[in-house]
Amino acid sequence: MIDFEQELERFKPSLEIDQVEDAVMNMDLTDMTDILMKMMEESQERKE
Amino acid sequence: MDYTDRCRRISNAFYNVGLEKARIRDLTGAAQCLKKSLHLDKYNTDARNLLGLIYYETGETAEALVQWVISSNLQPQGNRAIHYLTEIQGHPGLLEEEGVHIRKYNQAVQYAQTDNPDLAILQLLRVVEHKPNYIKAHMLLALLYIGREDYTKAGKSLYKVLQIDKNNPRASWYMSIAKSHTSRGEVEKRKLLTAFSHRQMEDDDVILPPTYKETTGWLTIIHIAVGLFMGAAVIFFLVMPAREKQLGETHNQELNQVLEQVSQRNMEIDRLEADKEALQTERDEAAAQLQTMLNENGGVLSQYQQLIAILQAYRADDFQTAVELYADLDASAIADEGTQVIVADIQRDMAANGYQVLEELGNRARDAGNPDLALEFYQKSLNINQENPQVLYDIAMIYQARGDEEQANQLFGQVIVNYPDSEAAGLAREARGY
Repeated sequence: MIDFEQELERFKPSLEIDQVEDAVMNMDLTDMTDILMKMMEESQERKE
Repeated sequence: MDYTDRCRRISNAFYNVGLEKARIRDLTGAAQCLKKSLHLDKYNTDARNLLGLIYYETGETAEALVQWVISSNLQPQGNRAIHYLTEIQGHPGLLEEEGVHIRKYNQAVQYAQTDNPDLAILQLLRVVEHKPNYIKAHMLLALLYIGREDYTKAGKSLYKVLQIDKNNPRASWYMSIAKSHTSRGEVEKRKLLTAFSHRQMEDDDVILPPTYKETTGWLTIIHIAVGLFMGAAVIFFLVMPAREKQLGETHNQELNQVLEQVSQRNMEIDRLEADKEALQTERDEAAAQLQTMLNENGGVLSQYQQLIAILQAYRADDFQTAVELYADLDASAIADEGTQVIVADIQRDMAANGYQVLEELGNRARDAGNPDLALEFYQKSLNINQENPQVLYDIAMIYQARGDEEQANQLFGQVIVNYPDSEAAGLAREARGY
């Protein structure tokens, strides 16, 4: 059965149009490739 | 194959799955796959553009813009996202309108979370009226309806959500709850039971529609007859009255127009008749006046002509003619003041000398055996001078000769009484035998 209050809490405000610029600037675009590359660089540094 | 290529391939695989899901309108599932694809390879432009499209389709315009802007920055050339952004920028009012609806939704969320569900519902109804694909608004509206135990309305909102996003898990869950509280769930269960209750069909089985029945020739004829009868009844009871009513209304309208025209024509005729009568009267009056002017005996013109003739007779020293003409003159018809002076002079002369001439003419006519002419002259003489007993006596004698004793005796008496000392009075007494 639905817990009404709990369900209600799940609803968050939508991103507004004038917040698009901030959202783009603050977007974390790190992908798996970036993480792997970083891991490989760190591994290389440790070997050296 | 290095890790970069592997990541790119896995990312592309997730994109393909996401694309398939988007094609069958499983937008939530597609969005999840596309997000995974982008976590693996942020340069997967197609995945990012499709994710933006899905956001746009579900009413999240700002989220869509974020994805398309990032996509166009990561790949400035040959990117479909630039087209999407250009399209949106080509309609300046669109973004402003979208912003208003998103703000209203956010306000509704705030109302709903601060125990103002009525205000929230009103706000959400306005939002979905203008933005019918806004899934989050529909979902919140459905939840608020469920909270008020209005499961029918909740079901309607959820139905719209599931039309846009067929496998939205939360919408499906809400819908199952809504159905469980309405008769809809039972109906669907029965349909499911009957749908799978048949035995497996064999090759010889024939599917007969439930309405199919064996019919004989007579039954067919009866069916046709009943159909014709029902058709005729429909035409008679439904079509004909409406048609008659329509025709009646048209006829009445035309009749009213014609009657109105006739009424106007009648009014015009009456007005023309009145004008005609007035003109006729004026014409008659003018004709009468003209006739009066031209009348030979009593007409004004004839009196003037008579006066001119009298003056000509005076000029010719023909006094007798002047007297005769004067006897027929009606001096009252002459209205001109200058002419009236002349007439007055003539009247004075006639009163002094004119009546004797007429008396003499009467005597001559009497002696010539023409009593009628004599009577006429005598009468004219009296018209000029009424105090002439001899003329009265002469007239009485003419009446006596004609056998009109009464008239004669009256004139004899008049002479005897009014002029007792005159010679004519003596003669009158003798004539009466005194």
